[in-house]
Amino acid sequence: MESALKDKYSIVGIGETDYTRGSGRSTRALAIEAIRNAVTDAGLKMQDIDGMLSYHGGDSVNSSTLAYDMGAQLNFYMDCSGGGSSTEALIGLAIGAIEAGMCETVAIFRSMNGYSQVRIGGTGSRASTPVSGPGLMTRPYGLASAVQSFAFSFTRHMMEYGVTSEDLARVKVAHSNHASNNPKALMKQRVTVDDVVNSRWIVRPCAHLLDCCLETDNATCIIVTSAERAKDLKQQPVYIRAVQGRGTKPGGDFHYQHGPISRVAGHYVGPRIFDLADLSHDDIDVTGCYDAFTYTVVLQFEAYGFCKEGEGKDYIKSGIVNLGDKRPNNTSGGHLCEAYTHGMNMVIENTRQLRGIVDDYCPDWQNGNHTYDYSEGGCRQVRNVNTTMNMGWASPATGSALILRR
Amino acid sequence: MTQEQEYGKMIPEPVPETAYFWEKVREHELWIQKCTDCDHVFHYPRFHCPKCTSSNLDWFQASGKGTLYTYMINHRPAPGFQDEAPYAIAVVQLEEGPRMMTNIVGIENTPENLVLDMALEVTFDDVLPDVTIPKWKPA
Repeated sequence: MESALKDKYSIVGIGETDYTRGSGRSTRALAIEAIRNAVTDAGLKMQDIDGMLSYHGGDSVNSSTLAYDMGAQLNFYMDCSGGGSSTEALIGLAIGAIEAGMCETVAIFRSMNGYSQVRIGGTGSRASTPVSGPGLMTRPYGLASAVQSFAFSFTRHMMEYGVTSEDLARVKVAHSNHASNNPKALMKQRVTVDDVVNSRWIVRPCAHLLDCCLETDNATCIIVTSAERAKDLKQQPVYIRAVQGRGTKPGGDFHYQHGPISRVAGHYVGPRIFDLADLSHDDIDVTGCYDAFTYTVVLQFEAYGFCKEGEGKDYIKSGIVNLGDKRPNNTSGGHLCEAYTHGMNMVIENTRQLRGIVDDYCPDWQNGNHTYDYSEGGCRQVRNVNTTMNMGWASPATGSALILRR
Repeated sequence: MTQEQEYGKMIPEPVPETAYFWEKVREHELWIQKCTDCDHVFHYPRFHCPKCTSSNLDWFQASGKGTLYTYMINHRPAPGFQDEAPYAIAVVQLEEGPRMMTNIVGIENTPENLVLDMALEVTFDDVLPDVTIPKWKPA
């Protein structure tokens, strides 16, 4: 069913810190910088923020703490436990909070010292720790991190559809080409298929080192308000056409128990987001597909119906995802090359694409003048972007989607 | 150094839902649950049926036969697994319907050896005097 709220809310501000490996700062300090940048971008003052939403994995900082630093009086805030796919979902919740009359302008943030403090799956529990709960059935077998637990879905997919490491490497190659035109990207170096398949194994047969995202210290922020209010602000408004999620597979806790294992949450989220937006795949000009690992991209393009099941590898190989082609993906370089932000940088990038002022190496990008020369160290603005889509991923079992328009 | 420290890996600490499972594993038997209202067979253990939420559940002994549903070979070992990396963590499709996670023993853990849908059977690894972990090997 078409959403009654489509295009009634906008992203009016975006901001991030530098992407580093060693911020030397607290998540509190990082968050304030990202929020300040987003507020400035929107042409607002810190005190104009009266709603806040954040997500965390036991790291980060509370909204109420930040409100002190911002000199803000909040009418609404929630700090949610959650990882990937939370960005999209919290944009939906921000709309709900404003629609309910609880507040007017919401800052959504994620702050993480993802390299220097809490490394997801990398810090691990100490040895011989007793383990209970659902982990009881996984941890004694040596399962520790996301790249491992997600891989069950993809090994079977690889075997059933004949996907190779080279197929996966092409995802990294595309995103690295995009990152080479992004001054903010942590990894700007363009890589080849050989570079990827010759890097060391992390999880066989699904991921070499270069198939994995970049642990990063950073904070990111997106500001949402009504389209009506957006008209008076500094930037060209970007309209929230539809948002859906976080949705799950049936029985999402141990995703491998249910249905074809390579069927991920996007299979259920996809039809709903297109219905809500009253749009189809052909309307989407740019995608942002959660690339924790190269294989998550392949699984999601299939799940959301951009190609048929088993044809994700061919979708990538066709080149459609490259800058200059029909529907570029992760034009900032995404998690694989720009930075790992738990999803928000890909929504920020699509917002920039829709404004037409992507911060690339074009001399006059600030005024929206782009060369559209996508060679290394050049442009990454896509021509005539009207509609973008984000596909967020928490795990094979959980995902969210977001469609934005100019 | 205690035996647990020497073992070095995470140790299952049964909770009320799973205590019976681990008790039977100690006896080298694999028991799983079935809903007596809707006949749904499931694993891991719970106090309610994940299909119809009924609390009317029975335990029964599984055949210990299954097939290799999927796997991945871990080159970044969890604590205690350093000496075994690269090692496979696998999902077994039980004959009775549910799937369970495991390690594969009895063969070198390589993609060549780990053929999807190959027949497996359960085996029991007494890792400590009071801790047994079910694992699977080629049938």
